[in-house]
Amino acid sequence: MAAPAESTRPKLGVVTWLALLWMALVILGTLLAPILPIADPQELGIRTRERERFEGPGWNAWFGADRSGRDLFSLMLHGGRPSLLLALVVTVFSATIGGIIGVVAGYLRGRVDSVIMALTDMALAFPGLILVAALTGTLGREVWVLILGFTVLGLPPYIRIVRGVSLAISEREFVEAAEAMGASRLQILRREILPLAVLPVIAFAFLGFALVIAAEGGLAFIGLSLDQDTWGTLTAEGAREIQEAPHLALIPATIMFLTILALNLISDRLSELRAPGGREGTGGPDEFPEPALPTDPDLLTISELRTQLVTERGVVKAVDGVDLRVREGTTLGVVGESGSGKTMLLRSILGAFPLVDARRSGRIDLDGRDLLTVDDATRRTILGTEIGVVSQNPLSALNPVRTIGSQITEPMRVHRKMSKDAAKTRALELLDQVGIPEPEKRFAQYPHELSGGMRQRVTIAIALANEPRLLLADEPTTALDVTIQDQILKLLQQLQDEREMAVVLVTHDLAVVRGWADDVAVMYAGQVVETGPAAAVFDAPKMRYTEALLESTPRLDEDVEQLATIEGQPPSLIEPPAGCRFVARCAYAQDRCRDEAPPLVAADDPGHRYACWYPVGHPDAVRHETEVSL
Amino acid sequence: MLDQLREELGFNDPILVRYANWVGDVLQGDLGESYFTEQKTWDAIRVALPKTIELAILAQLIALGIAIPAAITSVRNPGGVVDRMTSAIAFGFLSIPGFVLAVYLVALFAVRLDWFPAIATDIPGLNDDPIENLRQMLLPALALGINLVAVYLRLLRTDLLTTMQQDFVMLAQARGYSERRVLYRHVLRPSSLSLITSVGLNTGGLIGGVLIIESIFAIPGMGRLLVQSIFGEDFEVVQGLVLLFSAAFVLVNFAVDMFYSVVDPRIRRGSAS
Repeated sequence: MAAPAESTRPKLGVVTWLALLWMALVILGTLLAPILPIADPQELGIRTRERERFEGPGWNAWFGADRSGRDLFSLMLHGGRPSLLLALVVTVFSATIGGIIGVVAGYLRGRVDSVIMALTDMALAFPGLILVAALTGTLGREVWVLILGFTVLGLPPYIRIVRGVSLAISEREFVEAAEAMGASRLQILRREILPLAVLPVIAFAFLGFALVIAAEGGLAFIGLSLDQDTWGTLTAEGAREIQEAPHLALIPATIMFLTILALNLISDRLSELRAPGGREGTGGPDEFPEPALPTDPDLLTISELRTQLVTERGVVKAVDGVDLRVREGTTLGVVGESGSGKTMLLRSILGAFPLVDARRSGRIDLDGRDLLTVDDATRRTILGTEIGVVSQNPLSALNPVRTIGSQITEPMRVHRKMSKDAAKTRALELLDQVGIPEPEKRFAQYPHELSGGMRQRVTIAIALANEPRLLLADEPTTALDVTIQDQILKLLQQLQDEREMAVVLVTHDLAVVRGWADDVAVMYAGQVVETGPAAAVFDAPKMRYTEALLESTPRLDEDVEQLATIEGQPPSLIEPPAGCRFVARCAYAQDRCRDEAPPLVAADDPGHRYACWYPVGHPDAVRHETEVSL
Repeated sequence: MLDQLREELGFNDPILVRYANWVGDVLQGDLGESYFTEQKTWDAIRVALPKTIELAILAQLIALGIAIPAAITSVRNPGGVVDRMTSAIAFGFLSIPGFVLAVYLVALFAVRLDWFPAIATDIPGLNDDPIENLRQMLLPALALGINLVAVYLRLLRTDLLTTMQQDFVMLAQARGYSERRVLYRHVLRPSSLSLITSVGLNTGGLIGGVLIIESIFAIPGMGRLLVQSIFGEDFEVVQGLVLLFSAAFVLVNFAVDMFYSVVDPRIRRGSAS
């Protein structure tokens, strides 16, 4: 009956098994020390024939012998008894008492909680060893003194863990419901809090156990540990003979280290078990097809661009075979829902994927130079001097700990080697051009001192610093207030006219594209599904997704009773559908759409291309209700 | 004779009176004197304090000096071989008690190789003979700082990864800055804030470690003075030292708060906007 549960249990791994094995050896050895056939730890006189003062490790005595000839192996096994027992008692005491305090704090909340937590924070920061040293120094080197000191010092973590669990639980509705139904607090405690708190507390208990062992060792070195042979005192005594017989310190120290390491490893593994969800690796990305050669030397030509992101869940085909062209001085609007790959397309052009393992293939030609194949220095120069970028969120687009001035001058100083003064003069001009009043004052300020709109203006100024020929703008107005949105758009258009820049404008706002863009590319699930001159695409859409997108956008010049919404979600980009990727949400889908991916084909009007088997105006197109529901 | 001494030392006064007298003396800068040597507590501290401060600063420098480059290297390829190796080593560093490392270091570098002394003898001032001073202080500082390496490494690694998800890092890459520039100018500084807090908080932990390490290496610092005073039941000195340790702890945390505001402009100018 328990068989299915077995198979889903996470594996412990070799290291954890080794740690458990070591702990089993240590515990068995110390427990059985009195009945094992080993030397009496207090028996003196193991001596070598040469009458050396110290017997080294060997067959005579596995770990060697100390100055008076006592057997170190036997001493360690016997010495482990007080050390481990002390750690065990302290751990049980702190876990129990800390747990109770934690429940009280988390369950009663309010002032009780505040007081307890304030004390806990203070205790956590206080150098605890000084307290224990003072205690044993004044009260004597007794077992109960150490237990008292270590228990008090050990409380805070348990209080925090259990408080966290009870706080979360006591806020949940079912506890209130259970209370209302007459369950006593004790019952709630046993049924709800205890099961959740047990694993984290046990996980930490292993760590706490290790901490006590280490602390006892530390105290022994000050001479304030127990007045008997413990692991700590043996190590400390051995350390005094380290010049003549290093093994006397090295062996006990290593055994303590291995024990502490093993306990930490077990604790670490246990706390990982708390967070389920296995991480499985995935295979490599698909083979990349050979890119086709570009045909037209426009400013920016993208051919067969594919970007695959290697993630833990699989290889995401974020951009999957995109061909695009941006003519000098014009604007290309890239539209689509969130997750359609618009932003990834821009990132792919820039090659900016911090922390992501992104693999690009195809061609990205800027003025005949392929950004994917040029050498690193050239690529960085092109990025820095010919392309400008404006991103979506002005709040995170600027480095919070550097001044506006240093961030604007940086591209000029790096790529054009401008002097500090020259760069500053130019930066002030730029700030003025993007409509920032008092540039001199803003220059010295930090991002948090500026409003969102101002920050976006600064980002634009940085993008323009080196007079780029191409500006990539990723949802430049989405995060801003409506009134500010319009100002920023006007600013961008004005700057484009003045500088004759080409712009790639990524947005989900069709109204913006309609008013500005010369050309449009509609993206869906990592692919371009329709592209062409803005007027053609907007006035005579072919692809059904474009049509649905337009129907879901309000138009000022038309009276529409009700806005349509596109039901459903875009498909997974890890394993996209074999046929048309829009098929699951399309009201016109037929069998062919499911089986065969439609290619981009030319429409009747020049430059207009679409990927659809049954486009608008097709004789066989039939509308039916989609099966997708929310 | 005994009664006279008791009267002289004020042992006959009620405990509150004695406490009030002590507080009064402390406020006037008088930490009392040893019952036995009649050496002023202040004088003992004046000799011991510089050694302890040097030890603590060296330990912090070593910890940061190892942790920062290691964290930077490991986030270059998160989850890669270097990253996993670094994490494993950090785990070991976190698990090794300072005194165990001290034993290892002494056995290897002092006994076997004889590069450094096993215990300190007559440490010269850092200004007088920096090389001999460092020769004696290096092993203790390393033993004291080893746990911190792991603490700082883990903290900084997490913060670096968080910062790298911010847009401004992507934009810095997109502007064609070198990898080095992106890492140092754009990622490192915003990521160093919790590290700085941690340096302050862990100074408290160092004070505990100082007790042990100074005893092992026989460094005549504050920790050893405290241990000796405890053993000698010289409580006037113990009192003064504990007070000073606490004061130092508060002071360091205050200094960290000040430094924090230098690094993070959002705190410097208040949260007005």
